[in-house]
Amino acid sequence: MADSVVMGSGSFNSGSRSGSSKTSTSPTDNYQLARRRTLQVVVSSLLTECGFESAEKVAVETLTEMMQSYITEVGRCAKATCEHTARSTPTLSDVVVTLVEMGFNVDTLPVYAKRSQRMVITAPPVTNAPVVPKALMAGQKRTHPSYIPGHFPEFPDPHTYIKTPTFREPVSDYQVVREKAASQRRDVERALTRFMAKTGETQSLFKDDISAFPLISAKPSAIPYLSALLPSELELQSLEETDSSEQDDQTDTENNPSHIIQDDQSADKENVVLPPGGVVPTGKANEENMIDNPYLRPVKKPKVRRKK
Amino acid sequence: VPHSGSSMNRKKDKGFEICINNINFQRKSVIGYVELTIFPTVMNLNRIKLNSKQCRIYRVRVNDLEAPFIYNDPTLEVCHHESKQRNLNYFSSAYTAAVSAVDPDAGNGELSIKVPSELWKQGDEMKVMKVYIEFSLDQPKGGLHFVVPDVDGSMAERAAHVFSFGNQNSTRFWFPCVDSYSELCTWKLEFTVDASMVAVSCGDLVETVYTHDMRKKTFHYMLPIPTAAPNISLAVGPFEILVDPYMHEVTHFCLPQLLPLLKQTMSYLHEIFEFYEEILTCRYPYSCFKTVFVDEAYVQVSSYASMSIFSTNLLHSGMIIDQTPVTRRCLAQALAQQFFGCFISRMSWSDEWVLKGISGYIYGLYLKKTFGVNEYRHWIKEELDKIVEYELKMGGVLLHPTFSGGKEKDNPTPHLHFSIRHPHTLSWEYYKMFQCKAHLVMRLIENRISMEFMLQVFNKLLSLASTASSQKYQSHMWSQMLVSTSGFLKSISNVSGKDIGPLIKQWVDQSGVVKFFGSFAFNRKRNVLELEIRQDYTSSGTQKYVGPIKVTVQELDGSFNHTLQIEENSLKHDIPCHSKSRRNKKKKIPLMNGEEVDMDLSAMDADSPLLWIRIDPDMSILRKVEFEQADFMWQYQLRFERDVVAQEEAISALEIFPTPASRLALTDILEQDQCFYKVRIQACFCLAKIANSMMSTWTGPPAMKSLFTRMFCCKSCPNIVKTNNFINFQSYFLQKTMPVAMALLRDVQNLCPKEVLNFILDLIKYNDNRKNKFSDNYYRAELIDALTNSLTPAISINNEVRTVDNLNTDVRLILEEITRFLNMEKLLPSYRNTITVSCLRAIRMLQKNGHIPSDPSLFKSYAQYGHFVDVRIAALEAVIDYTRGTHFVLTTNFLCLSFSMLGKLGPFSWSGIFFIFQLVCLLQRLYGNCSCHTKGLIVNKRNPPSCLSIQR
Repeated sequence: MADSVVMGSGSFNSGSRSGSSKTSTSPTDNYQLARRRTLQVVVSSLLTECGFESAEKVAVETLTEMMQSYITEVGRCAKATCEHTARSTPTLSDVVVTLVEMGFNVDTLPVYAKRSQRMVITAPPVTNAPVVPKALMAGQKRTHPSYIPGHFPEFPDPHTYIKTPTFREPVSDYQVVREKAASQRRDVERALTRFMAKTGETQSLFKDDISAFPLISAKPSAIPYLSALLPSELELQSLEETDSSEQDDQTDTENNPSHIIQDDQSADKENVVLPPGGVVPTGKANEENMIDNPYLRPVKKPKVRRKK
Repeated sequence: VPHSGSSMNRKKDKGFEICINNINFQRKSVIGYVELTIFPTVMNLNRIKLNSKQCRIYRVRVNDLEAPFIYNDPTLEVCHHESKQRNLNYFSSAYTAAVSAVDPDAGNGELSIKVPSELWKQGDEMKVMKVYIEFSLDQPKGGLHFVVPDVDGSMAERAAHVFSFGNQNSTRFWFPCVDSYSELCTWKLEFTVDASMVAVSCGDLVETVYTHDMRKKTFHYMLPIPTAAPNISLAVGPFEILVDPYMHEVTHFCLPQLLPLLKQTMSYLHEIFEFYEEILTCRYPYSCFKTVFVDEAYVQVSSYASMSIFSTNLLHSGMIIDQTPVTRRCLAQALAQQFFGCFISRMSWSDEWVLKGISGYIYGLYLKKTFGVNEYRHWIKEELDKIVEYELKMGGVLLHPTFSGGKEKDNPTPHLHFSIRHPHTLSWEYYKMFQCKAHLVMRLIENRISMEFMLQVFNKLLSLASTASSQKYQSHMWSQMLVSTSGFLKSISNVSGKDIGPLIKQWVDQSGVVKFFGSFAFNRKRNVLELEIRQDYTSSGTQKYVGPIKVTVQELDGSFNHTLQIEENSLKHDIPCHSKSRRNKKKKIPLMNGEEVDMDLSAMDADSPLLWIRIDPDMSILRKVEFEQADFMWQYQLRFERDVVAQEEAISALEIFPTPASRLALTDILEQDQCFYKVRIQACFCLAKIANSMMSTWTGPPAMKSLFTRMFCCKSCPNIVKTNNFINFQSYFLQKTMPVAMALLRDVQNLCPKEVLNFILDLIKYNDNRKNKFSDNYYRAELIDALTNSLTPAISINNEVRTVDNLNTDVRLILEEITRFLNMEKLLPSYRNTITVSCLRAIRMLQKNGHIPSDPSLFKSYAQYGHFVDVRIAALEAVIDYTRGTHFVLTTNFLCLSFSMLGKLGPFSWSGIFFIFQLVCLLQRLYGNCSCHTKGLIVNKRNPPSCLSIQR
């Protein structure tokens, strides 16, 4: 009848599926495919049981889909029912309730199961079960203490709750520390400079082997004094670190007197140097405002000439 | 009519107004006008001569009347094309003649203006005349220097700036003027610049006004103190402004982003101010002071009226140790010149020595106060050695030349290959030595009349000048602001009442230094020291000395000063000894400074009570002394004489006595904390030399190694250096120097001992600056220098080509370090690129010793414009070093090329001149003496390389 059309769409479907199966090769996908195939076999055998001799692929496919939806729905509802009663694993009664709810007469089930003409389907070939990553083994797994009923879930793996002592002591030998720090820095520097040399232009000291001792080529800069005079960020950073550490190291008595003397001196100097009418700065914050220096004065607006 | 200066002058400046209303950084051009107020001093003034170079003059008006003018600069074509003589002597004399022809002190000038006939009558009545000149300057080759970095953005964002510079009186390069130090006038200066820029100039900033379009502003300056044109300067740029926190009338300027460095660098300027004001008992003469830090500065320091221009490379952060004293010295020099040089100017060129002498002398006093007596005496010795070496090699330096006529025969310095008649014909090196000698002579005068009188004289000069400066224009009053040799000497005799005529005749009116040879014998019977002092006064650069000389003799019973008279024919002097030669072992020995010390006297001659003898210990003669005494005497002198000069002399003398006793004396000095660090540094190098001479008998570890280990390495693991802590500067300098000296050690095969090399490599490896307050860039640079010093010539078989494969293993290690350092520098540049500089030197040394192929291309790339100046100089040095070999022709071509290449690059004149300048210094070492000034390059040597004579 509508063979050609159906076949066409079927081929389209199968084509798309095969396409997807080609691309998806992960274990879960494989598993799903296997299940689907099993379901298809089931649907086909049921159809055979009912007396069909052949079926269009698309019809089988639709029935399979329905079957799968039905089973999924049963599972989902059973789970919901079970969780409703504060349990985690559905029991037979949950399934029964579900089937009842879905309008299925449960009593017909044993008869149906024991019908004479039913076909036995061979178990699907055992596919490689997805490998469950091995739990980290650490320490002894604890059993339930006496006051916890046996049906309660087991304790999780010990690595999730016990602390794992490390037995290697940190190296504290001065020589080794220095040695390590030195070689680490050297390695980093060497790696970095080699990387830079490899990725950029280089100059060489040898004509026969340009790759030996590559020198990053000298590039003139527009404002060469900036990089040559300003301290690098690294230096500034380390300076800040040492500053704070020094303050920790030195006692206050060491620091204070010299500061006071300095302040006194500078105050004296200011008095001497400034003209008698000048303003002696009292605090650094106010200083800026009080300084009368011609370069800090605002620029004047040009005088507007009067038009005659 | 009262005149100052040359009697040929027929006019006097009264007021000067300069207005520059356009500065174009893109085109490097300047447009402006000047207006001079002239006061005729003669009748019939119908021609006015002014100085002007490279300016294009559009119009000249005298009292609002158009005036015709002629412009002729004879220095543009020194030798005419048709002239047949083509040698440098001819060039030199022709150049001197050209400079004389436009000498403002003789009333000459390049620009000759004819006074309009309508005004002649007025001139007869000697009324004031106003001369108005419009001019422009396009791509100036001198006088003004434009720095315009080649980056994106506005000129302010690009940190473009311009500043005036010049050798002596070179103001004519940027505006028409009377370019003389003796023509004083008051100034009104106006500069219109982009609104994002600041114009810094001499005098007080009266106001800053926007132009009508608000895109530019005009800086109005007034300088009421009479000032000579060469002391006028200008700097324009997008400067950051710092008002000195201690002195609000002092303002500092630096280029964008450098403000933190400026704050650090200027934090002690007020101390210098206070010092000078205190010793001179005179306030700073100007009402304000400005410092400007610019890039590509011609010289480190240049002083102008109420402002100084410095090289931006003097700025440093608080982490830098080595640059700090250098910069402080520069600031102190600049400030000393503010008093003597800017405020007080000179009558004529032959009085220059007084100004340089006084400013150098008071700068020395500042050094003594700030850096201590040791540093001061060390500096004086250094300066004395320098001038002595120069004069003995090149001939005498004459401080106060008198020129009787214009003839070649009357040349007061026939031994020199250039004329000293004008500052512009002088060799640069000669002028440096001239300044050095001038301040040393001032010190001799101080020795003669005492410091108190000396300062009184200075105070008198200053107070007369400041009284004069506040007067309204009177032609004779302002001359008090000019110093002359005769006026200065008169002042000295008035204040001190002493006759210093012979001293002046010996050192100022006459050139040359004294060369003494001394030796002695002890006459046991008479208990007399027989001292023989001979002189060499026939060689070039020497003169005969007659007069007193001080000799200090350290005996067992104490130290005794003797003043001997050096006379015409007497060579021998008998000096009676105070001590008996038989010595009391338990007694302590008194020293010159009153200290009493225990000495191990076993080394000395049992018959003689003499420990050591010093000739002219106070350096009160400009002399070189070669004195002979036994090695143990030098050793005693080194150990026990407290004067650093004596210690340094002893160290240099000990170089020729490689004995265990010398070794011990030097090691002891090295270990002594109280000893002056520069003496200890010198001892390091001497010890290395001695160790090499004693190679076969040397016992124990390499020289200085155990000492270094004890001082700077960890107690628990002696092969590892402590993490850096440079808080103690003395030990920092020692830590820096010792590896450099150790690397000079050689074993029996004349190689650097493996142990030393590994030691230096370990220092580099374990160098750890993380906990240090200071930067270690100089230290690391010196460690590279140490690696350089450790290099010895490669053993080459049949001149094989150097390849990577046949690289010596030690050299491979060294090269690896250098490669890493040089590459790291690209990522984390060090202050002033000290590490790159050391690496370039190291690579050149590797090439020179035949470890790697000799090839100047690397250096050529580092010599290009756009690298930091220190790096460029190091690279050029390497290139020049390369020419010393067989590649002469090849590389001189490069050098010529680099001259012309510099010409093509942006700031021609300037950068070009700067580099020619540096190159000339380098070439000088190579070929002998050369000279250079801002106008161009003159290489004045009898046999100069032909390529260089093309340059003129």
